[in-house]
Amino acid sequence: MNERSTTVAPVDWSAYEAEALAACEAASTPEELSAVNTRFTGRNAALPQALRKVRDKETGRQLNDLRSRLDEAEYRASDRITKSQLGLRLAETVDVTLPGEELPLGHLHPITQVRRAVEDAFLGLGYELRDDREVETVEYNFDKLAFEPTHAARSPRDTLFFDDDRLLRTETSASQIHILEEKPPPIYMVSIGRVYRRDAITATRYPIFHQFEGLAVDRGITLADLKGTLLHVMQALYGHERRVRFRTHYFPFTEPSIEPDVSCGVCGGSGCRTCKFSGWIEMGGAGMVDPRVFENVGLDSDEWSGFAFGCGLERTAQLRHDIPDIRALWDGDLRVLRQF
Amino acid sequence: MLVPLSWLREYVPVEMPLDELANRFSVSTAVVASIDARGVADGGGNLDLFRVGRVLEAVKHPNADRLQLTTVDVGEGEPRSIVCGAWNFGAGATVAVALPGALLPNGLTLERRKVRGEVSDGMILAEDEVGLGDDHSGIMLLPEREPGTPLTDVLPLTDLVLDVEVTGNRPDLLSVYGIAREVAALYELELAPPPGTDPTPAGDEPVNVEIADLQGCPRYVGRLFRGVNVGESPVWLRARLLAAGMRPISNVVDATNYVMIALGNPLHAFDFSKLHGGRIVVRRAEPGEKLRTLDGLERVLEPTDLMIADADRPVALAGIMGGEETEIGAETTDVLLEAANFEPYGIFRTSERLRLRTEGSNRWEKGVDPHLAPQAAALATQLLVETANASWVGSTDVHGDLAERPVVTFRHERVDGVIGLSVPAEEQDALLGRLGFDRPDSQVVVPTWRARDVTREIDVVEEIARFRLEDVPYTLPERRAMFGTMTRDQQLRRRVEETLAGLGFAETYTPSLRPDEETRWKLSEPISAELTALRTSLLPSLVEAVRRNLDAGATRIALFELARVYLSTEADLPDERPRVAGIIEGPFARGKGVVETLYAALKAEPVFEPAHHDLLHPGKTARTHAGIVGELHPAILDGTWVGFELELEPLFADAREPVTYTDVITYPPVLQDLAFLIDEGVPAGQLAEAVRETDPLVREAAIVEDYRGEGIPPGKKSVLLRVAFQSPERTLSNDDAAALRERIVAATTERFGASLRAN
Repeated sequence: MNERSTTVAPVDWSAYEAEALAACEAASTPEELSAVNTRFTGRNAALPQALRKVRDKETGRQLNDLRSRLDEAEYRASDRITKSQLGLRLAETVDVTLPGEELPLGHLHPITQVRRAVEDAFLGLGYELRDDREVETVEYNFDKLAFEPTHAARSPRDTLFFDDDRLLRTETSASQIHILEEKPPPIYMVSIGRVYRRDAITATRYPIFHQFEGLAVDRGITLADLKGTLLHVMQALYGHERRVRFRTHYFPFTEPSIEPDVSCGVCGGSGCRTCKFSGWIEMGGAGMVDPRVFENVGLDSDEWSGFAFGCGLERTAQLRHDIPDIRALWDGDLRVLRQF
Repeated sequence: MLVPLSWLREYVPVEMPLDELANRFSVSTAVVASIDARGVADGGGNLDLFRVGRVLEAVKHPNADRLQLTTVDVGEGEPRSIVCGAWNFGAGATVAVALPGALLPNGLTLERRKVRGEVSDGMILAEDEVGLGDDHSGIMLLPEREPGTPLTDVLPLTDLVLDVEVTGNRPDLLSVYGIAREVAALYELELAPPPGTDPTPAGDEPVNVEIADLQGCPRYVGRLFRGVNVGESPVWLRARLLAAGMRPISNVVDATNYVMIALGNPLHAFDFSKLHGGRIVVRRAEPGEKLRTLDGLERVLEPTDLMIADADRPVALAGIMGGEETEIGAETTDVLLEAANFEPYGIFRTSERLRLRTEGSNRWEKGVDPHLAPQAAALATQLLVETANASWVGSTDVHGDLAERPVVTFRHERVDGVIGLSVPAEEQDALLGRLGFDRPDSQVVVPTWRARDVTREIDVVEEIARFRLEDVPYTLPERRAMFGTMTRDQQLRRRVEETLAGLGFAETYTPSLRPDEETRWKLSEPISAELTALRTSLLPSLVEAVRRNLDAGATRIALFELARVYLSTEADLPDERPRVAGIIEGPFARGKGVVETLYAALKAEPVFEPAHHDLLHPGKTARTHAGIVGELHPAILDGTWVGFELELEPLFADAREPVTYTDVITYPPVLQDLAFLIDEGVPAGQLAEAVRETDPLVREAAIVEDYRGEGIPPGKKSVLLRVAFQSPERTLSNDDAAALRERIVAATTERFGASLRAN
């Protein structure tokens, strides 16, 4: 030992070691272990201080060995504490039947959900989506769609007029005229939006409702194509087990005109109150575009043919979700909306 | 159109199961909405309990002044004792009897019971008790028949009625015969000739009819009857009218209604003695002329209205309703029968103007075959002679040139081209033949009763299509040029809906029509006091929806709607703008947070500035350039609520779509917190905006704190901004940051008099 070492306060290193090892053993939390570290091996503890000052090789080796042993002990203690803490965490339990935290969850309206189902079905078939104005003229709502002058829909008893010429559209069919005037065929589009009729508010009727209207105009389109398209869409909306029936009907702007029925989902077709004991539920109107409509937009009906169809979204939503009263779709009642 | 089966069977042999008929008819012709039983229930032997009886004795009930005690032979050997309340019969009368156990149409089952001490072992029937009328003044007296005869042999006790929903293009189906014709074609059955054969005329008196407007009235068959006994129609006729939904009135009126239902041609009968000058003039009304119609209302006529007039005045609204003064009454003996034809549009216009729709106007509006009038006249004449003992003494048939049968060029192959199903030419022709179309060469001659509906090749194609509809295959268009995709707006609309739903809002739909809206777009005839005008804002409807939910006890209310408003402009049509609006409980900051999140979802950055809105708190409302957000005015809802309403078009215009990547990884930002001392009146947002505008290297300046109080002089506030300096090209040094910071201080001092507080 040289002279200078004698100036350092003498430390009993074996006592130091014993004390440090005992402290490591005793530590049971990371905080306690950290205190042990500060006291015995941290920057300002006696051992590192001494190591910084040591000059002779032998003392240095001894102190470094001590340092290694203490580090080793701290490491073991740390490992032991980590394991024991993990054990404590793992011993925790919760009553999993207690409710979870309430996080906000909103709701899309059933009409929106049906609207999207319709949109997706038609997007899949390659159709474009559009919507047109709700305030229409007699020309677009009736004349260009070849409604005869005596058609009941022209009466203010059925239709909501602002004046002699302007009205709230009674169906989305005016979209057919708008798109046919905008661009040449081929056209595959579906138009969705609000329509209006003078109906008293009841469980089954509301004067404002939504329709989707499809139009396909191309070369060589047939009634068979219309049947196939409607079958696809009805099954997309109601399920693939549903059957679809077509009946002849009449609309001013289609010829031949048909109406699709879907087999009743409540009784499966055997007859019940929902389907008025017919086994079938009326879904809307359809048909081959009448040559008069093509004439009205300046298209040659020998070159082009097409089909059109229209259907109510409320009705679709009611049938999909078994909602008996249409007013439930318009009241904004959260007890209803939160179910969807 | 209600079609009694018994009536239909008179014209076509309906033997197939009715469900099968209903389905086939629905698919190919018109929907059969229901098949209803009427009158006495058939089945379970119920009809056997209704018998013809002969009254053997009839005396006053010993214990009741108003009752008769009778014994009635119902063919059982032993007569039955029956107590009866009617007095319009006595011993010897032939009556209708229901026996104990019988189920009556009103749902009651008859029982043997004692009435005031005397046994009543059945019931003598009045017509209302078996659904044959509404007369309950006495029991039915029957022509003499053997007691015990089943009552169904004598009276039309039971029937099935098909309710057919006839479409507007098929007025020919608004008649039993028209339905029969269709059934015959569908099932290849034999159709009886149309009903009605002229009896031998009893005279040859002139009938004076003049048509001044052949366009409005192409044809007028007038027939004169004398010695008419106005009275009740026979029971079979009344039963048919009732089953078809018509109320029996008198034999003369019933005859006209019967013909309308049977053949589809509405008729009218005038009391001839009340027609001035004994003549009929069909003309347009003079301005100011008046007519009291059968419903008792005085109608003021206009020159567009077609009138049936006599020598002096209008006597009927042509095709719509007769006049009161020439109505058939009990004292009528001379009748002028009108079997005319009217043009649809004129009838429609008058019926619209007067808000008067009748069975007649409904048929005329859709167009009635002018060739039908003589047949209708023949059936009516036959009925008047048979049921009212009338003498047919004169007739006339005035008409101009009647429309010929349309001739349509038709190609068999067109059917395949339109419907996508190959139908052999012979089959097409056979089918058209059954429907009354003639088929010379390449043409089709349309029957008169379809002349309005079938005028083009496509209309003939439809005739084939509807009969083969179930065989048309299911295919899809070949789709050589189709590409289905949503537009940017449609995609963003979905994102708006989803973002708000994600924030806990429930989507709602409210009516686009509101009361008392300040707009040009008011309905000329509102639906109701609530639904009168197109809305110019969504928030009021949402406020009402919130109120309804509060009344229902809902909590955590948050509603949104995505819909249009309709703004008045100089243009001919309103400006229809899609908007999104929402209401949620909470302070301004919550609503603003929703709007900010909505913008963030669209990758857009809103700028807020103070604003005013009638529904919102004057000091807690802001606008962005897409709309407004603010606390609801406290007078509108209890508690603290916040609402917003944004136009989608400017919102979507701001959306950065698709997003362009910014490198914020390679050269990390230098962050500094800067506390500014600034006048209280300066909005913090303006300060932050000014800081951001100082230099492109100032990437962000976020407001962290707005502090006033201790340590801050009065009239001032401290705004703490967290500023990020960042360059996409290099790591900024402390010197760069210091320089930027100095420029920020200089700019804000100059603009707001702001000074930097020591941190």
